[in-house]
Amino acid sequence: MIIYTNEGNPLGLQLLMLAKFAKRAVQVQLVNLNDAKYKDLLVLPTLELDTGLRLFSTAAIAKYLLGDEGQQRDEWLEWSTTLLAPALAHHMAVGHRADPNALPVLNGLVKKLDDCLRNAPFLAGDKLSAADIAIWCLLAPDGTLKGAQHVDNLRSWYDKIKALPEVQQVLGEQPLKELSFNALQQANRYGGLHHVPLRRSSSVDAGKLLAETAPTVADTVTDEEINAARAAFTYTKPKELAEARTVLPKAGERNVLITSALPYVNNVPHLGNIIGCVLSADIFARYSRSAGYNTLLICGTDEYGTATENKALAENMTPREICDKYFELHNSIYRWFGIGFDYFGRTTTQEQTDIVQEAFHDVYKAGYILTESVEQLLCQKCDRFLADRFVEGTCPHPGCGYEDARGDQCDKCGKLVNATELVRPRCKVCNSAPVLRSSDQLFLDLPKAEPQLREWVDRVEQGWTHNARVITRAWLREGLKPRCITRDLKWGIPVPHKNFEKKVFYVWFDAPFGYVSMTKRYTKEYLQWWQPAAGTNVELFQFMAKDNVPFHSVVWPSVLLAINKGNTLVSHIMATEYLNYEDGKFSKSRGIGVFGNDAQETGIPADVWRFYLASARPEGQDSSFSWNDLAARNNSELLNNLGNFVNRALVFCEKNFNSTVPQIVLNQDELVLLALINRELRGYINSLEKAKLRDGIRHLLAISRHGNGYMQTQQPWVLLKGNDEQKSRAATIIGLCANIACLLANLLFPYMPSTARNLFAQLNAKQTPLDASKPLATILLPAGHKIGKPSPLFTKLEQAFIDELKGKYGGTQETRAEEPQQAAELEAAVQAQSDKVRQLKASTKDKTVWQPEVNKLLELKKQLEAAQKTTPAAAAPAAATQSVQDLENAVQAQGEKVRQLKSSTKDKAVWQPEVNVLLALKKQLDAAKAAPAAAAPAAAVPTAAAPANVGADAGKIKALEDKIAQQGEKVRSLKASGDATIWKPELDVLLNLKKELAALTGAPAAGTQSKNKKKK
Amino acid sequence: MCDVATVQKIANCLGVAPGKIQLNEEQVVTRTGAQNKTVSGFATILESLARESKSETAQNSIVTKEVQAQVYQWIEFAVLYVAPGSKDKHVSKQLLADFNKLFISKSYLVGHFITLADLAVYYAISELVKSLSPLDKENYLNLSRWFDHLQQRPEIHQGEPMLNFTTIYLHNWATGTHI
Repeated sequence: MIIYTNEGNPLGLQLLMLAKFAKRAVQVQLVNLNDAKYKDLLVLPTLELDTGLRLFSTAAIAKYLLGDEGQQRDEWLEWSTTLLAPALAHHMAVGHRADPNALPVLNGLVKKLDDCLRNAPFLAGDKLSAADIAIWCLLAPDGTLKGAQHVDNLRSWYDKIKALPEVQQVLGEQPLKELSFNALQQANRYGGLHHVPLRRSSSVDAGKLLAETAPTVADTVTDEEINAARAAFTYTKPKELAEARTVLPKAGERNVLITSALPYVNNVPHLGNIIGCVLSADIFARYSRSAGYNTLLICGTDEYGTATENKALAENMTPREICDKYFELHNSIYRWFGIGFDYFGRTTTQEQTDIVQEAFHDVYKAGYILTESVEQLLCQKCDRFLADRFVEGTCPHPGCGYEDARGDQCDKCGKLVNATELVRPRCKVCNSAPVLRSSDQLFLDLPKAEPQLREWVDRVEQGWTHNARVITRAWLREGLKPRCITRDLKWGIPVPHKNFEKKVFYVWFDAPFGYVSMTKRYTKEYLQWWQPAAGTNVELFQFMAKDNVPFHSVVWPSVLLAINKGNTLVSHIMATEYLNYEDGKFSKSRGIGVFGNDAQETGIPADVWRFYLASARPEGQDSSFSWNDLAARNNSELLNNLGNFVNRALVFCEKNFNSTVPQIVLNQDELVLLALINRELRGYINSLEKAKLRDGIRHLLAISRHGNGYMQTQQPWVLLKGNDEQKSRAATIIGLCANIACLLANLLFPYMPSTARNLFAQLNAKQTPLDASKPLATILLPAGHKIGKPSPLFTKLEQAFIDELKGKYGGTQETRAEEPQQAAELEAAVQAQSDKVRQLKASTKDKTVWQPEVNKLLELKKQLEAAQKTTPAAAAPAAATQSVQDLENAVQAQGEKVRQLKSSTKDKAVWQPEVNVLLALKKQLDAAKAAPAAAAPAAAVPTAAAPANVGADAGKIKALEDKIAQQGEKVRSLKASGDATIWKPELDVLLNLKKELAALTGAPAAGTQSKNKKKK
Repeated sequence: MCDVATVQKIANCLGVAPGKIQLNEEQVVTRTGAQNKTVSGFATILESLARESKSETAQNSIVTKEVQAQVYQWIEFAVLYVAPGSKDKHVSKQLLADFNKLFISKSYLVGHFITLADLAVYYAISELVKSLSPLDKENYLNLSRWFDHLQQRPEIHQGEPMLNFTTIYLHNWATGTHI
C-alpha cells in the first residue's frame, strides 16, 4: 500500500498507525497537490491499496483495514473526523486564520473524551479500537494536551496508547514534532478544513481544560532552534568579498557559469524579456557571488539573420551599423536596470566565427551532418528566399490551425513548424504567396544524437524548472528530426564547407555558441569555463523564457554531445513562463506595454522595477504586470514593511544612542525572533540556491515583518523613558534591529543593488558574504559600531501618478493619448449592439422583437458619430446607415416587381432575372447592415472601405442594376431567335455590366450567367 | 446539510422509517430508531439506514467491503467539504470543478450503480447547483448530467421542483451542447 500525503500532515500519522495495527506493509510518498502528476488526488492523505483503489477518508480506511468493531467505534470515528479534526485545525491556525472561538469548542470535545474514559478503559469499550488510534493521532501533534488540566482519564489513556509498541515503532519513523495541523492547508484544494464551521456545543460550558495560550508562530519555535540561534549570534570579523579581476573556475570550489538568453539585437526588450532572462540571471549571479561561488555572468546580443538585413535595408545602413546602433540601445537599457554582466558581448565577432566554424568541423567529422536538397520558399515579389520568420501561414499541426503561425514556430500550440509545411503561406513583408524552390542545405542529424541526448537528459533534468522538463520531454516523445542549420543569406557566419561558401549558419548553430565566444572575449582562458579540466566542476545555469527551451535543452546539447570534447553542458535550465501586460500581451508593434526605455522615463527607480519584476516573476505560471500591483507592492512591502523597519531602527539608534550600536543582551524574546529569522533565512538561501527568486523575496520580506512585529510588541520608545533596566532592554532591542537591518541589506543586495548600497552607507557597513551551508543570523554590527546618517529608502507611488502611467502605456504607442476615451467605448458598445441585432434578426422574423434593439443601435451610432466628428472615420458609418435605407427601399420595390411578374406569368425565364436582382439586393442590404458596425471602429482597416462605398455609390448601383435588367431582357429575346452570332455580343455586354456591379458591391454576380450556360 | 431534513429525505429514498431524527447537544444529528436504539453521526446513521433497507440503492452500497469504504468516504466528503464548502465562493468553485472532472468518466460516484454516496453528495450539493446560472451549468456539464439524471428519480426529487438543465433558449445566441 502507498500513502500519499504532504509534508507535516497530521492525518498521515493516522494512516501509518492503522496500517501498523492492521499489519500491512505501507510506504509513504510525500506529494504536492499542485504537481500535475497528482492532479487526480482530491484530499491528502490518500491511501492506495494494492488493488489500485484509492481511499482518502481516514475513517473509511480504518473501517476497511480493521473491519467491524461495533457501532460505538464507528460513531467515534465519525466524531473525530467531523468534529475534532476541524476544531483542532481552527485552533492551531495562525495569522489571519486564527480563531479565538475554537478553544471553548475544543474544551468541550476534550471534556467529552475525558468523561467517556472515566467509565471505560478505551473509547469503544474494553478493547483498543481504531477509534482510539484515530483520536490519539489527532491529539498527539502540536501538543494539544500540553498544559491541560482536569483531564486525568484522558491523560492516562493517552500515555497508555503512546506506550504501545506499535505506536512507538511508528513514532520512530514519523517524529511527532514534524507534524502540524497547519499542514492541512496544503492537504486539499479547499484550503484545509477552515471552511468547516465550528459546532458549538449547546450544553454548559466545559470549563477551561486546555492551556489558554493561543498558539502563535513563536510557539512553534523549538528548543533546538533557540539554541542554534543563540550559538550563531556572535561576531566574527567578516571576510571581505574579494573579486578577482578575471573570474576563473577553481578545482574544489563551486563554480557557477550563468548565461542569459541572447536578446535579438533589433528588438527593444520589454519588461517580460527583462525579467525572463537578463534580470533573473543578474539577481542569481549577485546572490551566487555573495555566497562566495566563482561566478561568471555572460550575455550579449544575437545579431546575425535576415531581420537585421532587412532593418538595414529599411534604414539605409549596413547591417553592421544597425547592430552597432541597437547594441548600444540594449547595453544602455541593461545598464540602467543595474544588470551586472561580467561581459556583455555580441555575436558578430571574429571569435564567434572561429568557434562556430571549428564546431562545425568537429560535428562534421563526427558524422552528424547531412546534406539535403531543401524546398525553400522564394518570394518572387521581394526576390529572395524567405527566412522562417518572414513567412506566416496557417499552422499545419492537426488540431491547431492557428492562422498566424510563424515560419519557425506556432505561437498557439508552441510546436515547431517547417516554413514549407505552412498551409497557405504568405510573405510577411509583401503579403504575397511565395513559391517553392529547392537548394542544397546542411542538416544536423539530431536522430543520431538522440540516444546520447536522452541519457543526458535523464541524468540532469532534475535541476531544470518544471516547464523546461515538460517541453524537453515533449520534444523527445515526438522523436527528433534532422534540423537545417544553413541558410541562403549574406549576414551571417559563412559555412566553411565546399559548395556552401555562399551560405551562412542558421541561428541554431550560431547563437548558442555566442555564450562561448563572449566568454572568449572576456578571457583568453575561456576554455576553463567551457571545457573544464578534470576535477573542476562547472555548473551552467541558463536563464530564458520558455520559448527558448528547445534550443538549450535539445539542439545545442546535441551539438556539444556530438563534438564530444567535454564541453560544459547546462545543468540548470531556468525557464520562465510569460509575463503579460495588464492581462494582455506585450506588443511592440501595437505599442502595448512597458519597454526597456519606457521604464527609465517613468521616473520610478530601477531598483523598484527590479524588485517588482522579481516578485511578479512568472515562475510557475504566467503572471501579469500591473501598474496597481507595482504601486501596491512599493507602498505596502517596500515602504511600509521593509523601509519602515530599517528606518525606525536606524533613527532610534541615531537619536537615542548617538549613532552607536548598543550592547545586545539576548533574552527569550530575542532568541525567538532570531529563531524565526533563521527559518526565513534558510528559506531565502534554499530558494535562491534553486534560483526561485520570487520565493526569495517572500522570505526576505518575512524577516522585516518579524522585525516590525518585534519592535511593535517590545515598544522601545516606552522603555527608553523607564529605569536603567528598561533602558538596557531598549538598547538590546535597537542593537538587534540595527543588526537585522544589516542582514536585510545583504539579502536585498541581489534584488536591489543600489538600494542595498545606500543602506550599507547608512549603516556604515560593507556587504558580508552569505554562508549558504550555515544560514543563521550573526552579529554584523558589533556594539560600539558607528552608523551613518539614516534616511528613507523608498518613496510612495501615488495613485494619480500610477493612473497617469497606466493611461500612457496602455494603448498604441503612436496613438497614445490621441484617441478620446469616449469614442473607443462607444465603438465597443456599437459593435456589441450590432452583433446582438444581427443575431436577433437571424433568429427571428418578428420585428417587434428586434426593432427596439435596432433603435438602440441607431442611437448609439449617432452618439458615436458625434464623438468622432473630428475624425474622418465618422463619415463611413453615416454613409453606410444612409445606404441601408436606400437599399431597403430598393429591395421593397424589387420585391413588388417580382410578385407582380410571378402573378402575371408562369414563364420562369421572365421572372427569374428579377428574382436574382432581388436576391442580390438583399445580400447587399445584409452586408450594409453588418458593415457600419465594423466600419465605424476600424475605418482605417481596408475591409471597411468596401461597405463604406456602398452608401456613396448606391445610386450608381441602382442605375447599373437597371441596365443589367434591360440588357438581360434583350439577351433573352435575342436568344429566342436562336442565332448565336447575334446574341453573343449582347451577352458579353451583360456579363461586363454584371462584373462592374460586382466590383461595386463586392457581392458575387447573380447566377443567371451560369444558368444560361447550362441551358446551352 | 448533515441536518435532520437530509437524513429524513434519504430515509424516504431508501424506504425506511426514519424514526426520530434530531440534533444532540453537540449539534450532531442522531437517530432513535426501533427498540430505542440511538445512532449518532450523519455517515453512521446512513450506514444504519442502509442495513435496514431493501432498496436497490442500499443494496448497492454494501455489496463489497471496497464499495462500502468508498461509499463512506463520499458521505464523509459531503459532510466535511461539500456542505460547508458550498457556502464559500472559492471552495465551491473548486468543488464544482472537481466533481465535474470526476464525472467525465463516471455515471455514479462509486462503481457503476447508484449508491448512498450519490444521495449524500446530491443533497449536499443541490443548493449550490441550484444557484448556478445556465452558462455555469454548461461549464459543469458532466456534473449537470449526473445531477439531472439523479433528480429524475421520483424517490430522489421527492416532489421538489426539478432544476432546469435545458439550454434550448440559449440556442439563438450560441449553438450549445445539450444534455
